[in-house]
Amino acid sequence: MIALGPAAKPVGALGGFFAMTLDVFIAIARPPFAWREYLNQTWFVARVSLVPALMLTVPYTVLLVFTFNILLIEFGAADFSGTGAAIGTVSQIGPIVTVLVVAGAGSTAMCADLGARTIREELDAMRVMGIDPIQALVVPRVLAATTVALALSATVIIVGLAGGFVFAVFIQHVPPGSFVAGLTVLTHGADVAVALVKAAVFGLAAGLIACYKGISVGGGPAGVGNAVNETVVFTFMALFAINVIATAVGVKITVV
Amino acid sequence: MTNSLLAQRFPRVRARLDRIHAAWNSIGVQTQFYAQAIGSIGDAATNYRTELIRLIATMGLGTGALAVVGGTVAIVGFLTMTTGALVAVQGYNQFASVGVEALTGFASAFFNVRLIAPGTTAVALSATIGAGATAQLGAMRINEEIDALEVIGIRSVSYLASTRVAAGVIVVIPLYCVAVIMSFISSRLGTTVIYGQGSGVYDHYFNTFLNTNDLLWSFGQSVAITVVIMLVHTYYGYTASGGPAGVGEAVGRAVRTSLIVAAIVLVMISLALYGQDGNFHLAG
Repeated sequence: MIALGPAAKPVGALGGFFAMTLDVFIAIARPPFAWREYLNQTWFVARVSLVPALMLTVPYTVLLVFTFNILLIEFGAADFSGTGAAIGTVSQIGPIVTVLVVAGAGSTAMCADLGARTIREELDAMRVMGIDPIQALVVPRVLAATTVALALSATVIIVGLAGGFVFAVFIQHVPPGSFVAGLTVLTHGADVAVALVKAAVFGLAAGLIACYKGISVGGGPAGVGNAVNETVVFTFMALFAINVIATAVGVKITVV
Repeated sequence: MTNSLLAQRFPRVRARLDRIHAAWNSIGVQTQFYAQAIGSIGDAATNYRTELIRLIATMGLGTGALAVVGGTVAIVGFLTMTTGALVAVQGYNQFASVGVEALTGFASAFFNVRLIAPGTTAVALSATIGAGATAQLGAMRINEEIDALEVIGIRSVSYLASTRVAAGVIVVIPLYCVAVIMSFISSRLGTTVIYGQGSGVYDHYFNTFLNTNDLLWSFGQSVAITVVIMLVHTYYGYTASGGPAGVGEAVGRAVRTSLIVAAIVLVMISLALYGQDGNFHLAG
Protein backbone atom coordinates (compact mmCIF):
# COMPACT_ATOMS: atom_id res chain seq x y z
CA MET A 1 0.00 0.00 0.00
CA ILE A 2 1.53 3.30 -1.06
CA ALA A 3 0.70 6.29 1.12
CA LEU A 4 -0.22 9.13 -1.21
CA GLY A 5 -0.65 11.65 1.57
CA PRO A 6 -3.52 14.08 2.14
CA ALA A 7 -3.78 14.98 -1.55
CA ALA A 8 -5.28 11.59 -2.40
CA LYS A 9 -7.99 11.78 0.26
CA PRO A 10 -10.54 14.01 -1.51
CA VAL A 11 -10.05 12.03 -4.72
CA GLY A 12 -10.76 8.82 -2.82
CA ALA A 13 -13.84 10.37 -1.21
CA LEU A 14 -15.13 11.52 -4.61
CA GLY A 15 -14.59 8.05 -6.03
CA GLY A 16 -16.33 6.48 -3.05
CA PHE A 17 -19.27 8.83 -3.52
CA PHE A 18 -19.72 7.91 -7.18
CA ALA A 19 -19.32 4.21 -6.38
CA MET A 20 -22.09 4.46 -3.79
CA THR A 21 -24.28 6.44 -6.21
CA LEU A 22 -23.91 3.69 -8.78
CA ASP A 23 -24.75 1.05 -6.15
CA VAL A 24 -27.85 3.05 -5.19
CA PHE A 25 -29.09 3.33 -8.79
CA ILE A 26 -28.63 -0.41 -9.30
CA ALA A 27 -30.34 -1.22 -5.99
CA ILE A 28 -33.34 0.99 -6.86
CA ALA A 29 -34.16 -1.26 -9.79
CA ARG A 30 -33.59 -4.50 -7.91
CA PRO A 31 -36.36 -5.93 -5.69
CA PRO A 32 -37.20 -6.11 -2.81
CA PHE A 33 -37.91 -2.42 -2.28
CA ALA A 34 -37.99 -1.28 1.37
CA TRP A 35 -41.47 0.28 1.29
CA ARG A 36 -41.91 0.66 5.02
CA GLU A 37 -38.59 2.44 5.47
CA TYR A 38 -39.33 4.66 2.45
CA LEU A 39 -42.71 5.77 3.82
CA ASN A 40 -41.26 6.33 7.30
CA GLN A 41 -38.42 8.43 5.94
CA THR A 42 -40.67 10.43 3.61
CA TRP A 43 -42.99 11.23 6.49
CA PHE A 44 -40.03 12.12 8.70
CA VAL A 45 -38.36 14.46 6.16
CA ALA A 46 -41.70 16.09 5.32
CA ARG A 47 -42.46 16.60 9.00
CA VAL A 48 -39.17 18.31 9.84
CA SER A 49 -39.06 20.35 6.60
CA LEU A 50 -42.56 21.76 6.13
CA VAL A 51 -42.69 24.52 8.74
CA PRO A 52 -39.08 25.75 8.22
CA ALA A 53 -39.62 25.79 4.44
CA LEU A 54 -42.71 27.96 4.72
CA MET A 55 -41.06 30.24 7.28
CA LEU A 56 -38.03 30.66 5.01
CA THR A 57 -39.88 31.26 1.77
CA VAL A 58 -42.05 34.13 3.01
CA PRO A 59 -39.17 36.46 4.06
CA TYR A 60 -37.20 35.76 0.88
CA THR A 61 -40.19 36.39 -1.41
CA VAL A 62 -41.12 39.53 0.47
CA LEU A 63 -37.55 40.74 0.10
CA LEU A 64 -37.57 39.99 -3.63
CA VAL A 65 -40.95 41.66 -4.23
CA PHE A 66 -39.89 44.66 -2.16
CA THR A 67 -36.58 45.15 -4.01
CA PHE A 68 -38.15 44.56 -7.42
CA ASN A 69 -41.01 46.96 -6.72
CA ILE A 70 -38.63 49.76 -5.78
CA LEU A 71 -37.33 49.43 -9.32
CA LEU A 72 -40.73 49.12 -10.98
CA ILE A 73 -42.26 52.04 -9.09
CA GLU A 74 -39.31 54.16 -10.25
CA PHE A 75 -40.03 53.12 -13.84
CA GLY A 76 -43.74 53.73 -13.29
CA ALA A 77 -44.46 50.07 -14.06
CA ALA A 78 -45.68 48.78 -10.71
CA ASP A 79 -48.43 46.89 -12.55
CA PHE A 80 -45.80 44.33 -13.56
CA SER A 81 -44.90 43.56 -9.94
CA GLY A 82 -46.43 40.10 -10.32
CA THR A 83 -44.12 39.32 -13.25
CA GLY A 84 -40.99 39.82 -11.16
CA ALA A 85 -42.46 37.87 -8.25
CA ALA A 86 -43.33 34.96 -10.55
CA ILE A 87 -39.89 34.82 -12.24
CA GLY A 88 -38.04 34.99 -8.93
CA THR A 89 -40.26 32.65 -6.96
CA VAL A 90 -40.88 29.95 -9.53
CA SER A 91 -37.44 29.69 -11.07
CA GLN A 92 -35.13 30.50 -8.15
CA ILE A 93 -36.56 30.96 -4.66
CA GLY A 94 -38.91 27.95 -4.83
CA PRO A 95 -36.36 25.28 -5.70
CA ILE A 96 -33.52 26.85 -3.68
CA VAL A 97 -35.50 27.34 -0.47
CA THR A 98 -36.90 23.83 -0.73
CA VAL A 99 -33.50 22.38 -1.00
CA LEU A 100 -31.87 24.55 1.64
CA VAL A 101 -34.46 23.17 4.02
CA VAL A 102 -34.35 19.56 2.80
CA ALA A 103 -30.55 19.73 3.09
CA GLY A 104 -30.50 21.65 6.36
CA ALA A 105 -33.28 19.77 8.14
CA GLY A 106 -33.74 16.40 6.42
CA SER A 107 -30.32 15.35 5.21
CA THR A 108 -28.51 16.47 8.36
CA ALA A 109 -30.80 14.24 10.42
CA MET A 110 -30.29 11.36 7.93
CA CYS A 111 -26.53 11.78 8.11
CA ALA A 112 -26.60 11.92 11.92
CA ASP A 113 -28.77 8.79 12.10
CA LEU A 114 -26.68 6.77 9.62
CA GLY A 115 -23.45 8.06 11.17
CA ALA A 116 -24.49 6.95 14.64
CA ARG A 117 -25.37 3.49 13.23
CA THR A 118 -22.02 3.28 11.44
CA ILE A 119 -20.13 4.12 14.64
CA ARG A 120 -22.05 1.47 16.57
CA GLU A 121 -21.13 -0.98 13.75
CA GLU A 122 -24.79 -1.69 13.02
CA LEU A 123 -24.12 -1.51 9.28
CA ASP A 124 -21.42 -4.21 9.55
CA ALA A 125 -23.86 -6.33 11.57
CA MET A 126 -26.43 -5.99 8.78
CA ARG A 127 -23.90 -7.10 6.19
CA VAL A 128 -23.05 -10.14 8.34
CA MET A 129 -26.74 -11.06 8.40
CA GLY A 130 -26.83 -10.83 4.61
CA ILE A 131 -28.82 -7.59 4.43
CA ASP A 132 -27.45 -5.01 2.03
CA PRO A 133 -27.44 -1.66 3.90
CA ILE A 134 -27.57 0.22 0.58
CA GLN A 135 -30.82 -1.51 -0.30
CA ALA A 136 -32.34 -1.46 3.18
CA LEU A 137 -31.28 1.99 4.38
CA VAL A 138 -29.76 4.20 1.67
CA VAL A 139 -32.20 3.69 -1.23
CA PRO A 140 -35.34 4.56 0.80
CA ARG A 141 -33.64 7.66 2.24
CA VAL A 142 -32.42 8.96 -1.13
CA LEU A 143 -35.85 8.44 -2.70
CA ALA A 144 -37.56 10.02 0.33
CA ALA A 145 -35.44 13.16 -0.02
CA THR A 146 -36.28 13.32 -3.75
CA THR A 147 -40.02 12.85 -3.17
CA VAL A 148 -40.22 15.43 -0.42
CA ALA A 149 -38.18 18.01 -2.38
CA LEU A 150 -40.54 17.60 -5.33
CA ALA A 151 -43.69 17.86 -3.23
CA LEU A 152 -42.38 20.65 -1.05
CA SER A 153 -41.23 22.87 -3.91
CA ALA A 154 -44.79 23.16 -5.23
CA THR A 155 -46.02 24.16 -1.76
CA VAL A 156 -43.18 26.62 -1.35
CA ILE A 157 -43.92 28.29 -4.69
CA ILE A 158 -47.63 28.69 -3.85
CA VAL A 159 -46.93 30.07 -0.39
CA GLY A 160 -44.18 32.34 -1.70
CA LEU A 161 -46.47 33.82 -4.35
CA ALA A 162 -49.21 34.29 -1.75
CA GLY A 163 -46.74 36.09 0.55
CA GLY A 164 -45.59 38.27 -2.34
CA PHE A 165 -49.22 39.06 -3.22
CA VAL A 166 -50.09 40.12 0.33
CA PHE A 167 -46.97 42.27 0.61
CA ALA A 168 -47.32 43.91 -2.81
CA VAL A 169 -51.07 44.56 -2.55
CA PHE A 170 -51.52 45.56 1.07
CA ILE A 171 -48.20 47.28 1.80
CA GLN A 172 -46.96 48.59 -1.53
CA HIS A 173 -50.44 49.27 -2.96
CA VAL A 174 -50.11 47.41 -6.24
CA PRO A 175 -53.59 46.70 -7.72
CA PRO A 176 -54.42 43.03 -6.99
CA GLY A 177 -55.79 42.39 -10.47
CA SER A 178 -52.67 43.55 -12.26
CA PHE A 179 -50.44 41.59 -9.86
CA VAL A 180 -52.27 38.38 -10.73
CA ALA A 181 -52.40 39.24 -14.43
CA GLY A 182 -48.64 39.93 -14.37
CA LEU A 183 -47.80 36.49 -12.97
CA THR A 184 -48.05 34.70 -16.29
CA VAL A 185 -46.45 37.34 -18.55
CA LEU A 186 -43.00 35.73 -18.59
CA THR A 187 -43.57 32.58 -16.53
CA HIS A 188 -45.35 29.71 -18.27
CA GLY A 189 -46.07 26.05 -17.65
CA ALA A 190 -42.65 25.04 -18.95
CA ASP A 191 -40.93 27.20 -16.30
CA VAL A 192 -42.93 25.48 -13.57
CA ALA A 193 -41.98 22.07 -14.98
CA VAL A 194 -38.29 23.06 -15.06
CA ALA A 195 -38.55 24.29 -11.44
CA LEU A 196 -40.06 20.98 -10.30
CA VAL A 197 -37.41 18.95 -12.13
CA LYS A 198 -34.74 21.15 -10.57
CA ALA A 199 -36.15 20.56 -7.08
CA ALA A 200 -36.25 16.79 -7.64
CA VAL A 201 -32.60 16.73 -8.82
CA PHE A 202 -31.59 18.83 -5.81
CA GLY A 203 -33.37 16.44 -3.46
CA LEU A 204 -31.63 13.46 -5.06
CA ALA A 205 -28.21 15.10 -4.71
CA ALA A 206 -28.89 16.09 -1.08
CA GLY A 207 -29.99 12.55 -0.19
CA LEU A 208 -26.98 10.94 -1.87
CA ILE A 209 -24.45 13.26 -0.21
CA ALA A 210 -26.07 12.84 3.22
CA CYS A 211 -26.08 9.03 2.95
CA TYR A 212 -22.49 8.88 1.69
CA LYS A 213 -21.20 11.09 4.53
CA GLY A 214 -23.31 9.05 6.97
CA ILE A 215 -22.02 5.61 5.99
CA SER A 216 -18.38 6.74 5.69
CA VAL A 217 -18.18 8.39 9.11
CA GLY A 218 -15.41 7.66 11.64
CA GLY A 219 -14.13 8.86 15.01
CA GLY A 220 -16.80 9.02 17.70
CA PRO A 221 -19.31 11.82 18.46
CA ALA A 222 -16.96 14.52 17.08
CA GLY A 223 -16.76 12.51 13.84
CA VAL A 224 -20.55 12.47 13.48
CA GLY A 225 -20.70 16.22 14.14
CA ASN A 226 -18.03 16.88 11.52
CA ALA A 227 -19.73 14.57 9.01
CA VAL A 228 -23.00 16.49 9.42
CA ASN A 229 -21.15 19.79 9.03
CA GLU A 230 -19.48 18.52 5.84
CA THR A 231 -22.86 17.25 4.59
CA VAL A 232 -24.33 20.74 4.90
CA VAL A 233 -21.36 22.39 3.18
CA PHE A 234 -21.05 19.88 0.33
CA THR A 235 -24.82 19.77 -0.31
CA PHE A 236 -25.05 23.55 -0.49
CA MET A 237 -22.06 23.72 -2.84
CA ALA A 238 -23.44 20.96 -5.07
CA LEU A 239 -26.85 22.59 -5.14
CA PHE A 240 -25.62 26.03 -6.09
CA ALA A 241 -23.44 24.52 -8.83
CA ILE A 242 -26.31 22.37 -10.15
CA ASN A 243 -28.61 25.40 -9.99
CA VAL A 244 -26.50 27.51 -12.38
CA ILE A 245 -26.30 24.69 -14.93
CA ALA A 246 -29.98 23.77 -14.55
CA THR A 247 -31.01 27.42 -14.90
CA ALA A 248 -28.93 27.85 -18.05
CA VAL A 249 -30.48 24.70 -19.55
CA GLY A 250 -33.98 25.68 -18.37
CA VAL A 251 -33.66 29.16 -19.87
CA LYS A 252 -32.67 27.60 -23.20
CA ILE A 253 -35.83 25.50 -23.10
CA THR A 254 -38.32 28.09 -21.90
CA VAL A 255 -37.17 31.51 -23.20
CA VAL A 256 -37.57 31.56 -26.94
CA MET B 1 -53.20 17.79 46.24
CA THR B 2 -55.91 18.73 43.74
CA ASN B 3 -53.16 19.52 41.29
CA SER B 4 -51.77 15.97 41.23
CA LEU B 5 -55.28 14.50 41.21
CA LEU B 6 -56.13 16.57 38.16
CA ALA B 7 -52.87 15.51 36.51
CA GLN B 8 -53.79 11.84 37.09
CA ARG B 9 -57.30 12.38 35.82
CA PHE B 10 -56.24 14.19 32.59
CA PRO B 11 -52.76 12.91 31.68
CA ARG B 12 -52.84 14.06 28.05
CA VAL B 13 -53.91 17.60 28.91
CA ARG B 14 -51.17 17.67 31.51
CA ALA B 15 -48.56 16.44 29.01
CA ARG B 16 -49.61 19.09 26.51
CA LEU B 17 -49.47 21.84 29.12
CA ASP B 18 -46.01 20.64 30.16
CA ARG B 19 -44.82 20.82 26.58
CA ILE B 20 -46.13 24.38 26.12
CA HIS B 21 -44.54 25.31 29.43
CA ALA B 22 -41.18 23.84 28.34
CA ALA B 23 -41.28 25.62 24.95
CA TRP B 24 -42.14 28.90 26.66
CA ASN B 25 -39.29 28.48 29.13
CA SER B 26 -36.81 27.56 26.40
CA ILE B 27 -37.36 31.00 24.83
CA GLY B 28 -36.33 32.58 28.11
CA VAL B 29 -33.33 30.29 28.46
CA GLN B 30 -32.19 31.12 24.93
CA THR B 31 -32.57 34.85 25.50
CA GLN B 32 -30.58 34.56 28.70
CA PHE B 33 -27.83 32.65 26.89
CA TYR B 34 -27.68 35.21 24.07
CA ALA B 35 -27.54 38.14 26.48
CA GLN B 36 -24.80 36.43 28.47
CA ALA B 37 -22.80 35.57 25.33
CA ILE B 38 -22.99 39.14 23.98
CA GLY B 39 -22.29 40.66 27.39
CA SER B 40 -19.19 38.52 27.86
CA ILE B 41 -17.56 39.52 24.56
CA GLY B 42 -15.46 42.13 26.38
CA ASP B 43 -14.41 39.51 28.93
CA ALA B 44 -13.51 37.08 26.14
CA ALA B 45 -11.47 39.69 24.28
CA THR B 46 -9.41 40.58 27.35
CA ASN B 47 -9.04 37.26 29.18
CA TYR B 48 -9.26 34.62 26.44
CA ARG B 49 -7.40 36.43 23.67
CA THR B 50 -5.30 33.44 22.53
CA GLU B 51 -8.45 31.33 22.12
CA LEU B 52 -10.06 34.16 20.14
CA ILE B 53 -7.09 34.40 17.76
CA ARG B 54 -6.95 30.62 17.36
CA LEU B 55 -10.66 30.58 16.46
CA ILE B 56 -10.24 33.34 13.88
CA ALA B 57 -7.51 31.29 12.21
CA THR B 58 -9.49 28.02 12.20
CA MET B 59 -12.73 29.70 11.04
CA GLY B 60 -11.04 31.32 8.07
CA LEU B 61 -9.35 28.11 6.98
CA GLY B 62 -11.81 25.46 8.14
CA THR B 63 -10.93 22.10 9.66
CA GLY B 64 -10.61 18.54 8.36
CA ALA B 65 -12.02 17.88 4.91
CA LEU B 66 -13.24 21.48 4.62
CA ALA B 67 -9.66 22.76 4.79
CA VAL B 68 -8.75 20.44 1.89
CA VAL B 69 -11.24 22.12 -0.47
CA GLY B 70 -9.81 25.54 0.44
CA GLY B 71 -11.54 26.53 3.68
CA THR B 72 -14.41 28.88 4.40
CA VAL B 73 -13.05 31.58 2.08
CA ALA B 74 -13.08 29.25 -0.93
CA ILE B 75 -16.58 27.94 -0.09
CA VAL B 76 -18.08 31.41 0.30
CA GLY B 77 -16.31 32.54 -2.88
CA PHE B 78 -17.63 29.53 -4.77
CA LEU B 79 -21.23 30.02 -3.59
CA THR B 80 -21.35 33.72 -4.49
CA MET B 81 -19.64 32.98 -7.80
CA THR B 82 -22.51 30.65 -8.72
CA THR B 83 -25.19 33.11 -7.58
CA GLY B 84 -23.45 35.88 -9.51
CA ALA B 85 -23.46 33.67 -12.60
CA LEU B 86 -27.17 33.20 -11.96
CA VAL B 87 -27.69 36.96 -12.38
CA ALA B 88 -26.00 36.68 -15.76
CA VAL B 89 -28.00 33.62 -16.87
CA GLN B 90 -31.42 34.59 -15.55
CA GLY B 91 -31.06 38.38 -15.80
CA TYR B 92 -29.62 38.47 -19.32
CA ASN B 93 -32.19 36.08 -20.74
CA GLN B 94 -35.21 37.61 -19.01
CA PHE B 95 -34.14 41.12 -19.99
CA ALA B 96 -33.49 39.89 -23.54
CA SER B 97 -37.02 38.50 -23.73
CA VAL B 98 -38.35 42.07 -23.27
CA GLY B 99 -35.56 43.57 -25.38
CA VAL B 100 -33.50 45.42 -22.73
CA GLU B 101 -30.56 43.03 -22.20
CA ALA B 102 -28.29 46.11 -21.96
CA LEU B 103 -29.56 46.48 -18.38
CA THR B 104 -27.87 43.27 -17.14
CA GLY B 105 -25.03 45.40 -15.71
CA PHE B 106 -27.62 47.33 -13.76
CA ALA B 107 -29.15 44.08 -12.46
CA SER B 108 -25.72 43.00 -11.22
CA ALA B 109 -25.13 46.30 -9.39
CA PHE B 110 -28.64 46.36 -7.90
CA PHE B 111 -29.61 42.75 -7.06
CA ASN B 112 -26.13 41.47 -6.18
CA VAL B 113 -25.64 44.18 -3.59
CA ARG B 114 -29.12 44.35 -2.10
CA LEU B 115 -30.29 40.74 -2.21
CA ILE B 116 -27.82 38.15 -3.32
CA ALA B 117 -24.59 38.98 -1.50
CA PRO B 118 -26.12 39.24 2.01
CA GLY B 119 -28.43 36.27 1.39
CA THR B 120 -25.73 33.98 0.06
CA THR B 121 -23.28 35.06 2.74
CA ALA B 122 -25.87 34.14 5.37
CA VAL B 123 -26.38 30.67 3.87
CA ALA B 124 -22.65 30.08 3.49
CA LEU B 125 -21.80 31.23 7.01
CA SER B 126 -24.51 29.13 8.56
CA ALA B 127 -23.29 26.06 6.67
CA THR B 128 -19.55 26.52 7.28
CA ILE B 129 -18.50 28.28 10.46
CA GLY B 130 -21.93 28.09 12.10
CA ALA B 131 -22.47 24.35 11.66
CA GLY B 132 -18.80 23.80 12.49
CA ALA B 133 -19.23 25.63 15.81
CA THR B 134 -22.32 23.56 16.68
CA ALA B 135 -20.49 20.32 15.86
CA GLN B 136 -17.46 21.26 17.97
CA LEU B 137 -19.43 22.50 20.98
CA GLY B 138 -21.87 19.58 20.76
CA ALA B 139 -19.02 17.05 20.80
CA MET B 140 -17.49 18.88 23.78
CA ARG B 141 -20.82 18.79 25.61
CA ILE B 142 -21.31 15.06 24.93
CA ASN B 143 -17.78 14.28 26.15
CA GLU B 144 -18.45 16.41 29.28
CA GLU B 145 -15.60 18.72 28.37
CA ILE B 146 -17.76 21.80 29.03
CA ASP B 147 -18.44 20.63 32.59
CA ALA B 148 -14.70 20.06 32.99
CA LEU B 149 -14.04 23.65 31.88
CA GLU B 150 -16.44 24.95 34.53
CA VAL B 151 -14.76 22.77 37.18
CA ILE B 152 -11.32 24.21 36.47
CA GLY B 153 -12.71 27.72 36.79
CA ILE B 154 -13.07 28.82 33.17
CA ARG B 155 -16.28 30.72 32.35
CA SER B 156 -17.54 28.39 29.63
CA VAL B 157 -20.01 30.79 27.96
CA SER B 158 -17.43 33.50 27.41
CA TYR B 159 -14.63 31.01 26.61
CA LEU B 160 -16.68 29.01 24.08
CA ALA B 161 -19.62 31.14 22.87
CA SER B 162 -18.51 34.78 23.12
CA THR B 163 -15.15 34.06 21.50
CA ARG B 164 -16.93 32.37 18.58
CA VAL B 165 -19.35 35.26 18.09
CA ALA B 166 -16.48 37.78 18.14
CA ALA B 167 -14.35 35.64 15.82
CA GLY B 168 -17.30 35.25 13.41
CA VAL B 169 -17.74 39.03 13.17
CA ILE B 170 -14.02 39.51 12.48
CA VAL B 171 -13.90 36.70 9.90
CA VAL B 172 -16.99 37.96 8.03
CA ILE B 173 -15.27 41.22 7.03
CA PRO B 174 -12.84 39.66 4.51
CA LEU B 175 -15.43 36.99 3.65
CA TYR B 176 -18.00 39.61 2.66
CA CYS B 177 -15.44 41.36 0.45
CA VAL B 178 -14.61 38.07 -1.28
CA ALA B 179 -18.34 37.35 -1.69
CA VAL B 180 -19.18 40.69 -3.31
CA ILE B 181 -16.15 40.71 -5.59
CA MET B 182 -16.80 37.13 -6.75
CA SER B 183 -20.45 37.89 -7.50
CA PHE B 184 -19.52 41.00 -9.53
CA ILE B 185 -16.77 39.18 -11.46
CA SER B 186 -18.90 36.17 -12.32
CA SER B 187 -21.89 38.31 -13.39
CA ARG B 188 -19.61 40.33 -15.65
CA LEU B 189 -17.83 37.31 -17.13
CA GLY B 190 -21.09 35.44 -17.65
CA THR B 191 -22.71 38.37 -19.45
CA THR B 192 -19.76 39.58 -21.53
CA VAL B 193 -17.84 36.38 -22.29
CA ILE B 194 -20.54 33.70 -22.41
CA TYR B 195 -23.53 35.68 -23.70
CA GLY B 196 -21.35 38.04 -25.73
CA GLN B 197 -22.58 41.44 -24.59
CA GLY B 198 -20.17 44.34 -25.22
CA SER B 199 -18.16 44.95 -22.05
CA GLY B 200 -18.50 48.73 -22.49
CA VAL B 201 -22.31 48.49 -22.34
CA TYR B 202 -22.14 46.27 -19.26
CA ASP B 203 -19.61 48.48 -17.45
CA HIS B 204 -21.54 51.66 -18.23
CA TYR B 205 -24.78 50.47 -16.62
CA PHE B 206 -22.92 48.71 -13.82
CA ASN B 207 -20.92 51.79 -12.82
CA THR B 208 -23.89 54.13 -13.21
CA PHE B 209 -26.06 52.18 -10.79
CA LEU B 210 -23.47 50.93 -8.28
CA ASN B 211 -24.30 52.88 -5.13
CA THR B 212 -21.63 53.18 -2.41
CA ASN B 213 -24.23 53.63 0.33
CA ASP B 214 -25.98 50.42 -0.72
CA LEU B 215 -22.69 48.55 -0.50
CA LEU B 216 -22.00 49.82 3.01
CA TRP B 217 -25.53 48.97 4.17
CA SER B 218 -25.25 45.53 2.64
CA PHE B 219 -21.99 45.04 4.54
CA GLY B 220 -23.71 46.11 7.76
CA GLN B 221 -26.51 43.61 7.08
CA SER B 222 -23.97 40.82 6.70
CA VAL B 223 -22.31 41.66 10.02
CA ALA B 224 -25.68 41.73 11.82
CA ILE B 225 -26.65 38.39 10.27
CA THR B 226 -23.33 36.88 11.35
CA VAL B 227 -23.92 37.83 14.98
CA VAL B 228 -27.38 36.23 14.91
CA ILE B 229 -26.15 33.08 13.16
CA MET B 230 -23.22 32.54 15.52
CA LEU B 231 -25.45 33.06 18.58
CA VAL B 232 -28.01 30.48 17.38
CA HIS B 233 -25.34 27.94 16.43
CA THR B 234 -23.37 28.24 19.66
CA TYR B 235 -26.58 27.89 21.68
CA TYR B 236 -27.59 24.63 19.95
CA GLY B 237 -24.06 23.24 20.29
CA TYR B 238 -23.76 24.30 23.93
CA THR B 239 -27.03 22.56 24.86
CA ALA B 240 -26.64 19.41 22.70
CA SER B 241 -27.63 16.09 24.28
CA GLY B 242 -28.22 12.48 23.31
CA GLY B 243 -24.95 10.90 22.19
CA PRO B 244 -23.37 10.98 18.72
CA ALA B 245 -26.73 11.20 16.92
CA GLY B 246 -27.69 14.07 19.24
CA VAL B 247 -24.74 16.14 18.01
CA GLY B 248 -25.82 15.61 14.40
CA GLU B 249 -29.42 16.51 15.18
CA ALA B 250 -28.30 19.64 17.01
CA VAL B 251 -26.38 20.69 13.89
CA GLY B 252 -29.47 20.18 11.72
CA ARG B 253 -31.74 22.06 14.10
CA ALA B 254 -29.23 24.91 14.38
CA VAL B 255 -28.88 25.21 10.58
CA ARG B 256 -32.60 25.43 9.98
CA THR B 257 -33.24 27.84 12.86
CA SER B 258 -30.42 30.14 11.86
CA LEU B 259 -31.46 30.17 8.18
CA ILE B 260 -34.97 31.30 9.18
CA VAL B 261 -33.78 33.86 11.70
CA ALA B 262 -31.21 35.23 9.24
CA ALA B 263 -33.88 35.59 6.53
CA ILE B 264 -36.19 37.48 8.90
CA VAL B 265 -33.36 39.75 10.06
CA LEU B 266 -32.43 40.41 6.43
CA VAL B 267 -35.99 41.45 5.53
CA MET B 268 -36.38 43.62 8.62
CA ILE B 269 -33.12 45.48 7.99
CA SER B 270 -33.92 45.90 4.28
CA LEU B 271 -37.35 47.34 5.03
CA ALA B 272 -35.87 49.66 7.66
CA LEU B 273 -33.08 50.84 5.37
CA TYR B 274 -34.76 51.25 2.04
CA GLY B 275 -38.23 52.08 3.39
CA GLN B 276 -41.05 53.21 1.16
CA ASP B 277 -39.09 55.37 -1.29
CA GLY B 278 -36.41 52.73 -1.81
CA ASN B 279 -33.41 55.08 -1.86
CA PHE B 280 -33.09 54.50 -5.58
CA HIS B 281 -33.08 57.18 -8.27
CA LEU B 282 -33.11 56.11 -11.87
CA ALA B 283 -32.82 59.64 -13.22
CA GLY B 284 -29.82 60.50 -11.01
